[in-house]
Amino acid sequence: MDSALIPEGVKRCPTWKFLLALAIAGAVLLWGVVAMLMVWFKGLNQTNMNDYYGFALWIWADLAFIALGGGAFFTGLLRYIFGIKELKNIINYAVLIGFICYSSALLILAIDIGQPLRGWFIFWHANVHSMLTEVAFCLSCYFAVLCIEYLPLVLENRQLDRVPFFHNLSHNMHETMAVFAATGAFLSFFHQGSLGGVSGVLFGRPFSFRTGINVWPWTFFLFTWSAAAYGPCFTLSITWLTEKISGKKLVKDNVVELLAKIAGWMIITYVVAKIIDTVYWATVTAPSLGFKWTFFYSNNPLYGKWILLTEIVICGIIPGLLLISGPTRRNPTTRIIALLLGVLGVSINRWVMVLQVMAVPVMSFDKWVLYYPSWQEVATTLLPVAYGVIMILISYRYLPIFPQEAELNPVDSVSASDGVELEDGQQDEKEAQTDGQAVPAEA
Amino acid sequence: MKVDRRSFLSLLIGGAAGTALSPLPWKLTDDLSIWTQNWPWTPVPQRGESYYETTTCTLCPGGCGVKVRKIDERCVKIEGADEHPVNKGGVCILGLSGLQLLYGPTRIKTPLKRVGEKGEGKWRSISWQEALDELASRLKQVRSKGTPEKAACLLDGIDGTVGRLFQRLMTVYGSPNLFCMPAAEDASKAALKLAGGSAVRAGFDLEEADFVLSFGCGLLDGWGSPVRVFKANSSWKDGHTTVVQVEPRLSNTAAKADHWLAVKPGSEAELALAMANVIIGRNLYDSEFISNYCDNFEGLKRLVALHTPETAAAATGLGPETIVKWAVEFARASRPVALYGRGQGRASAGSLRDCMAIMLLNALVGGFNRSGGMWIVPEYDYIAWQEPELDEVARAGLERPRADGSGGGKDGLTLSLVQRLLGTDAEQLPEVLMVARCNPVYSLAGSGGVEDNFRKIPFVVSFSSFMDETAAMADLVLPEHLYLETLEDVPVSAGLNFPLIGLCRPVTEPQFNTMALGEIVIRLAGIMGGTVAGAFQWDDYETCLKETLENKWETLEEQGFWYDSGFRPPAWDQAFGDAGGKFRLAGGKIDEILEAEEITPAGDPAQFPLVLVPYDSIRLANGYIGDPPFMIKSVWDDVLEGKDVCIQINPATARKYAVAEGKVVHLVTPVGKARVKVHLDEAVMPGIVCIPRGLGHTAYDAYLAGKGINVNALIGSMEEAASGFDAAWGIRAKLA
Amino acid sequence: MKQEQTKHRPKRYGMVIDLDKCTGCGSCMVACMAENNVPFKKDESDKLLSITWMRVYKITNGKSFPDSDICYIPRPCQHCAGQHEGHSPCVSVCPATATDYSRETGIVSQIYTRCFGCRYCMAACPYHARYFNWWDPVWPDGMEKYLNPDVSPRMRGVVEKCSFCFHRYQAAKDKAYLEGRRVVEEDEYQTACTQACPAGAIVFGDLNNPDHLVHKLVKPDLKNGGRPRNPEVFRLLERLGTNPKVYYKSSRQWVRKAGDNYLPGEKPGAVIQKSHS
Repeated sequence: MDSALIPEGVKRCPTWKFLLALAIAGAVLLWGVVAMLMVWFKGLNQTNMNDYYGFALWIWADLAFIALGGGAFFTGLLRYIFGIKELKNIINYAVLIGFICYSSALLILAIDIGQPLRGWFIFWHANVHSMLTEVAFCLSCYFAVLCIEYLPLVLENRQLDRVPFFHNLSHNMHETMAVFAATGAFLSFFHQGSLGGVSGVLFGRPFSFRTGINVWPWTFFLFTWSAAAYGPCFTLSITWLTEKISGKKLVKDNVVELLAKIAGWMIITYVVAKIIDTVYWATVTAPSLGFKWTFFYSNNPLYGKWILLTEIVICGIIPGLLLISGPTRRNPTTRIIALLLGVLGVSINRWVMVLQVMAVPVMSFDKWVLYYPSWQEVATTLLPVAYGVIMILISYRYLPIFPQEAELNPVDSVSASDGVELEDGQQDEKEAQTDGQAVPAEA
Repeated sequence: MKVDRRSFLSLLIGGAAGTALSPLPWKLTDDLSIWTQNWPWTPVPQRGESYYETTTCTLCPGGCGVKVRKIDERCVKIEGADEHPVNKGGVCILGLSGLQLLYGPTRIKTPLKRVGEKGEGKWRSISWQEALDELASRLKQVRSKGTPEKAACLLDGIDGTVGRLFQRLMTVYGSPNLFCMPAAEDASKAALKLAGGSAVRAGFDLEEADFVLSFGCGLLDGWGSPVRVFKANSSWKDGHTTVVQVEPRLSNTAAKADHWLAVKPGSEAELALAMANVIIGRNLYDSEFISNYCDNFEGLKRLVALHTPETAAAATGLGPETIVKWAVEFARASRPVALYGRGQGRASAGSLRDCMAIMLLNALVGGFNRSGGMWIVPEYDYIAWQEPELDEVARAGLERPRADGSGGGKDGLTLSLVQRLLGTDAEQLPEVLMVARCNPVYSLAGSGGVEDNFRKIPFVVSFSSFMDETAAMADLVLPEHLYLETLEDVPVSAGLNFPLIGLCRPVTEPQFNTMALGEIVIRLAGIMGGTVAGAFQWDDYETCLKETLENKWETLEEQGFWYDSGFRPPAWDQAFGDAGGKFRLAGGKIDEILEAEEITPAGDPAQFPLVLVPYDSIRLANGYIGDPPFMIKSVWDDVLEGKDVCIQINPATARKYAVAEGKVVHLVTPVGKARVKVHLDEAVMPGIVCIPRGLGHTAYDAYLAGKGINVNALIGSMEEAASGFDAAWGIRAKLA
Repeated sequence: MKQEQTKHRPKRYGMVIDLDKCTGCGSCMVACMAENNVPFKKDESDKLLSITWMRVYKITNGKSFPDSDICYIPRPCQHCAGQHEGHSPCVSVCPATATDYSRETGIVSQIYTRCFGCRYCMAACPYHARYFNWWDPVWPDGMEKYLNPDVSPRMRGVVEKCSFCFHRYQAAKDKAYLEGRRVVEEDEYQTACTQACPAGAIVFGDLNNPDHLVHKLVKPDLKNGGRPRNPEVFRLLERLGTNPKVYYKSSRQWVRKAGDNYLPGEKPGAVIQKSHS
């Protein structure tokens, strides 16, 4: 049915399967949209946030999405600036995931603010001292960059590519991609950092407050570093998941291993920095404000020392070591465990830096306050996930995301092996292959 | 095809680019944000001329002067009147919330006649003429049967002209059954009466005291004239006044006192008598006062001899040495004062035994009419109307006994034995009951029984401005003006040590179809005709008021209050006219009262191991006025959680009965049962369950109704045999 | 400009609350709500959702009956100046300059029409002095009559907080100007809570002005972040370096200690605050 749109040289699942998957994700999306509209029309009273939890699930989701989307800028940086050629085989997907994560983050921000129609005041009445201003500017700019990075991929759709203008545009954009990659990396450094700064500058909140360099608290650098370290973990995890679902190898092992190795070293260096930061905070910063570090991990039902241990050791040191050591990196099982632990680790970090900050009492007579999200908050947080799934479904189906897919999965052998349901589209594909356009264009 | 697509795409992209570059999206974005800044459903208060008008607050008996800030015709804020001798610019939380009452949704907007069952809440709006005619014909009906005493009237007090108009109405009508809601002041008036004072009340020179011994008085919880006491407390902090608070719970007052004596509830009289014992035993009493101006010191010695620190120690839970220590400190202070009146002193009169014992402490230290002591202040006598002419029916009716079996105002000690009027069996209930400025269905102990009796009374008339619990049970509602809409005299007692009449005056036009209460009485009398009408010869209430206050009216109008700034209490030789110039310390009724046993709360200790003690909070209005939204908003989250009230119990009590913080339990007493939440608090004596008054309303609005429980429904009345006072301060209880 | 400044010394309006006198009666809370058009809901028992610009906290000494003790701490916005004048925890983080620090008065303002409800300031404020309008404010029919025209009611979705009744300052300044005066006298500008407090526990005035009672009570060390020199006076969370302008006075040591956080073994007063700008 939609075979004309499917890239040449690859096989896609039957349309009904695709539509079913779309429908399932679409249902979740719809649920999220309903919740979103409720929040917009009825107000933030639809959430379980309160005056102690001004920041809650959404801000966590925001921070986590942006950290996980960090694979885009970091892979781009490695590919275009450091010239690591192998990564061209995964950069498309990294960009797509980044695009999804960042657009989701922006959407969540638009839901999260009390006056969405005035959201643009952040630009118009910008306070340059605010980390959030920095976030807003860099985030928007970087999202524009991501659009520019994603656009050539869209234009490579078989039908669009036929339009000479689009073909040329796409080609030219590929030529200049290094410039955008550099811009993206620069912007990412600042918005990832300023997201870290968001909690780090809160000198009224001894749990998150950090000293630092000039106006930048240590969390600024830690956030950038951790996004660079854990972002690729997410890219690789999603790639692995895509392979599992499609039942196809999409990226060659050497590419995966290379990125995993880089991520491993990034994680190890990050964790070392994080440990130093934590020790300094626990022994110098917090005590100077009157707090023993154990205070932040006691007398409440949720936040114990376990969370620190999980974040730093189980989801930091362990995946780092697994990824830098050759055998465990090459072993698909230990590799994916490491990658998933990494994803969890950065998510915990972002959780702690948003929600635990809010939970800790600061005034001596205040109390620990815990919070659980309302269904509207959960739905609106799942909304981007569903949207991401849909974006991936569509992009994967219609765009040449994985340059190595055709090579790794020759269509002949595939059709020979299942031997059924040879649709028109696949006939077309076979014909197209003979045109010599089987290998997707890559600048 | 190719061309079509191209042109279509061009159009699309061109159109998008064009729109984006046009001012349209930017203008729209801007307009949308401007719209959010002016949402039509967010009110914008109208501007106008700003000015102040002064009046007197009558939401409690405190008598504070307030000024109301107005913007054109709107009242926007209530503040304390700076020049007022009572509150000197301060204002309490209830006074501040007054405008929410004025403009609030619970106001009764017009006279109402019941159409459904009693308490069902179905009403028909009627005209004032119809309402007054209806009431008059009901009253005439009862009178025509020759039983005028079957009409009764329940008020908050009869000090001012409105109370006196009611009293006059009842007199010419022929009913002796005028009742007032009980308050601690009734007990202190009665105690003074027994000691030899006539037509006097107690005032306290709080500001000058250097030692305050408070027997459970919620000095910072709304006792007396609350703002005045707050200010006195601050002056105590600035000076070096010692404040000792005696009560089983760490109330605001106890927390701010210098010393908190946590005694078992109900043992106050024992403690006071033991202190008297110590003071006499150690010759620490004021011998000049005792020997020259008191009667029967020997009798008192005999009385207190039985109450040693050791016996009191067992009753109170304090060590004997503590009792001795504080008795000595009290007696050695140069300007000590002992205070009576549990909590705000408005829930019940309390026991005359407590009151008497505490007053004796003041006597022993010669604290009467002295700087920093207890002053004997004459009752207001500015209302001097001619005796009304009575007809045969009235004379006969007045000869019949009061429903409470006491002599009432004439020979009895008080008009406030309301529990005997409303907590009684059906035959004794009145046929017509008029209720003004009080809410007995809610605020009397054993209020469940009171409500049942209200169903049985054939005709209940409420004059309330609000749909309170009593109005909800009425057959006819004749809503009076709110204090901010009316003109009226406000004679203030509330423990003031000087006479002061405040003027309550309209700061706004009446919001609804209501009428001044005095005017209602005068018009009603007019319709009644005969001698009843003849006793009310005024054109209207305003004329009555001005005539009555003749020589003070000018001052009242000018400054909003009249008071005797140079008031000094009479010297000791002039103070006790009735007893031949002496203060009676013992003998007769006093002995009977003091020799009585401590009143113990109802219930079998084996079955009900705990004791429920209600407490007053300044943030919970618990009288006739219900908590306005601002006040209920200020209630602590360890007092009210959603719809549940939290009981305060000591963690030791919780361990003993295996209940934990936040647990929902049932609080069971011999008279009732209610769902409550547990709150553990070291501020409460083990074995005691504390619960605030002022919650559990069923009437009023959604901001107040249905929150917590009405503790009055859980406790029964505890009548003191010797005096008839309802001394209800608690009841035995258990958790289930 | 410079001349202007030397001629008109900038003011630092602040407050001293005497915790010995404060009875926890709540008048300040209601005076504030009435003055500033603070809305209310049917259920206000959840204090995490209850707008109280002035909130009274209840603290206990943690001891058992009958040694237990209670103290009340009224908490308006602390109008922090931060480590360098204007670097308040909230002002520094607001992305849209919707909250600002006035160098003329030391008052932290909130511009409701500019705030877009990101709530970063609430996350920044350790005193929980900032409140969000989770709901549209609704006054029961007729009650909107008492709304004060000097303070605009806030719409849903924005943050609000105590302004030290700034509109009263403006009114006092206008009045002084009309009468040809340049100086607003101490008693001409008082907040609604100060005025209402029946215990007279709140004192308000210019901390920079040695004639004002607040200055006399606090004896602020202006060279040292305004720290009180009166040993009975303290500020909440002094050690965080927020440099608030609300001071508390208590004769009770346990109360003063509760005002800040201390490591085991540390003694209040002996701890030197570290600067961390």
